[in-house]
Amino acid sequence: MIRVRELAKRYGAQEVLRGVTLEVERGEVAAIIGSSGSGKSTFLRCLNGLERLDAGTIEIAGTTLRAGVEPALEQRLHAAIRARVGMVFQQFHLFPHLSVLANIVEAPTQVAHRPPEEARTRAMALLERVGLAGKAQARPSTLSGGEQQRVAIARALAMEPEAILFDEPTSALDPRMASEVLSVLADLAHDGLTMVVVTHAMAFARRAAGRVHVFHEGRVIESGPPEQVLEHPREPATLALLEIVRG
Amino acid sequence: MRGAAANAFQPAMLCTLLWLALATSAPSDTLAEIRARGFFIWGADEEGGGPYVFPDPGDPERRIGFEVDLARELARELSGELGRTIEARFAQSPWDKLPDLLKTGRIDLVLNGYEWTEERSRDMASTLPYYVYELQLLARADRSDASWDWLASPPQKRVGVLGGSAAENYLAERHPGLELVSYDGNTNAMGDVVSGRLDATLQDLPIALFYRADFPALAFAGAPVAPGRYVIFVRREDQTLRAALDRAILALRASGTLRAIDERYGIWTEAQHDPELLSLPEGARPSSADSSASGFLARYATTLLASAGMTVLLSVLSFPLAIVLGVLVALGRLYGPRLVAWPLTVYVEVLRGTPLMLQLFVIFYVFPNAGLRLDALTAGVLGLAINYSAYEAEIYRAGLQAVPRGQMEAALALGMSRRLALRRIVLPQAVRIVLPAVTNDFIALFKDTSVCSVITVVELTKRYNIAAMTHPADVLPLAALAAALYLVMSYPLSLLSARLERALR
Repeated sequence: MIRVRELAKRYGAQEVLRGVTLEVERGEVAAIIGSSGSGKSTFLRCLNGLERLDAGTIEIAGTTLRAGVEPALEQRLHAAIRARVGMVFQQFHLFPHLSVLANIVEAPTQVAHRPPEEARTRAMALLERVGLAGKAQARPSTLSGGEQQRVAIARALAMEPEAILFDEPTSALDPRMASEVLSVLADLAHDGLTMVVVTHAMAFARRAAGRVHVFHEGRVIESGPPEQVLEHPREPATLALLEIVRG
Repeated sequence: MRGAAANAFQPAMLCTLLWLALATSAPSDTLAEIRARGFFIWGADEEGGGPYVFPDPGDPERRIGFEVDLARELARELSGELGRTIEARFAQSPWDKLPDLLKTGRIDLVLNGYEWTEERSRDMASTLPYYVYELQLLARADRSDASWDWLASPPQKRVGVLGGSAAENYLAERHPGLELVSYDGNTNAMGDVVSGRLDATLQDLPIALFYRADFPALAFAGAPVAPGRYVIFVRREDQTLRAALDRAILALRASGTLRAIDERYGIWTEAQHDPELLSLPEGARPSSADSSASGFLARYATTLLASAGMTVLLSVLSFPLAIVLGVLVALGRLYGPRLVAWPLTVYVEVLRGTPLMLQLFVIFYVFPNAGLRLDALTAGVLGLAINYSAYEAEIYRAGLQAVPRGQMEAALALGMSRRLALRRIVLPQAVRIVLPAVTNDFIALFKDTSVCSVITVVELTKRYNIAAMTHPADVLPLAALAAALYLVMSYPLSLLSARLERALR
């Protein structure tokens, strides 16, 4: 489903990713952990073309991205990926001028050209699924952070993606709201959705992830099932990270 | 009225542009054209006031003045000569713009207290004089020693004159020791003599005679001086028209019609027999009907209201155009390739960096040279729209940049193209951000429509100026009325925008 080889990314002189190689199988939940600045968010944004890669390859949902592709082709490749791979942001980024329902209906009608009636019916079902059927007509600004993030998940699901990228989906939320969102994520994982989740929520990683990848200074230093990586870390950097998270 | 001196505030660049525009006007036989269409268009400035051309105090919709009557009589004479009924049609223009209007072919003749000067007669063709004017010194009536000798004696005197007028030139030449104060209107200087801010004022005799009754505290000091000729100007190549007008003027003088017109406005002088004769005649100005505040205001409320309609029309036609242009320019500057963004930056800077008035001049007086002749309303709407589009573009650019980057990213991540994301996600949010600034601009444009008066559009401010020039004593109620009209129109706009902001939040 996702196969990344030697991915490198630079901002000016600063090397953010220094050759990341990583695979995610269809239906797998991959948790990505690492300290701030380790490159995990940049990695995620490279996967759907929000950041340009400087070297290496990304195969994702049947499309291959390389460095130095001409802009017109690159745009088409990005479009192909984004049509199949959704994304959920740390700061939700709901569209504030649209109602909750309109946020979810926007892409299916405008991008996938679904009939509005069908899109609305499906959107209502998705709101039901994330427990917010009653908020369909509300403005995003009137919702709590947890509710907004659940709407953002429903918005991503509305495009019927093969995979969803989650960029620290609970970092902006208090523990109660975070657990609301994580239970939705666990639910999706249970249903077999391919997910790449950048997170600090170790309990979630332990419970829901098939594999955990540890980022450190722009590289993946350790990968494996959660019980191995989280309980018996091989690398000192992983140990240090886990100690910080546990407090 | 005024002399040849150009308006000092006009940039030299404008003169160059106008010269370019006017240098190549095509010749044609205007007299034959007048016969074909059945009317001639004469240009004058109502704002110049009495006794030339001014709104009838009894019915401000109607124009009166000795030149209005003269134009009518000239039309009658031409009717006889051309063998069909010829009508005299009036065109309003700022006084100093009349020659430009003549040369661009918008009017057929200038008939508005234009003195014959050698300079002008080189530029345009002049008819025989239809009136001999003189200059009259006015001082406070209680200063019995006021005279030309008194004026020249110490201490130094302050004298008010119309800016660029023959009176100004005369005093500057003959009495260099005086302190000259330049005024924009005739009656303002007279008022300042009454109030004591000035020692005296030198006015064209017809004006002094006409406004005598309005300023009983003023008296004529000394005999009139410096006689000169008021003539009609036509385009230099229109010699047949000039000859026809000459015949008409001679006929009107011979029949006593000219004298009858002058007497109607109390401006007949013996100098009309002989330009060298310098005696002060008895003069009765036409009865200026009911001047009570209430009746007067009731009459003016209607005309002012009608001109307010023009103000509204200019605003509602130009602003939507400014918005559309502004959005396109902002998008081009933000998202366009450098080849598009750079010229648009120049567009914005040029339009923001030059006065609206100049832009209107260019559209109205220079565009015809390139084959694009717009009527005054169209030119006004276009000028306002283009000028404001630059300001709108900058507001929208700021608004677009104020929408968080995450909004664009979220839209892209959902598979939207950049263009779709802009249209559906970023633009609607930017609109909400800029709305207060845009309504603010609309109210500003609403008031800026008054600048259109320089290209002969008569809107609320122009109508007020004309009325105020004609009725100097009623400036206060007139100003209050005009201000109230502006406020009555702009306040609902403020309420509307406040409601809109709430609804879009």
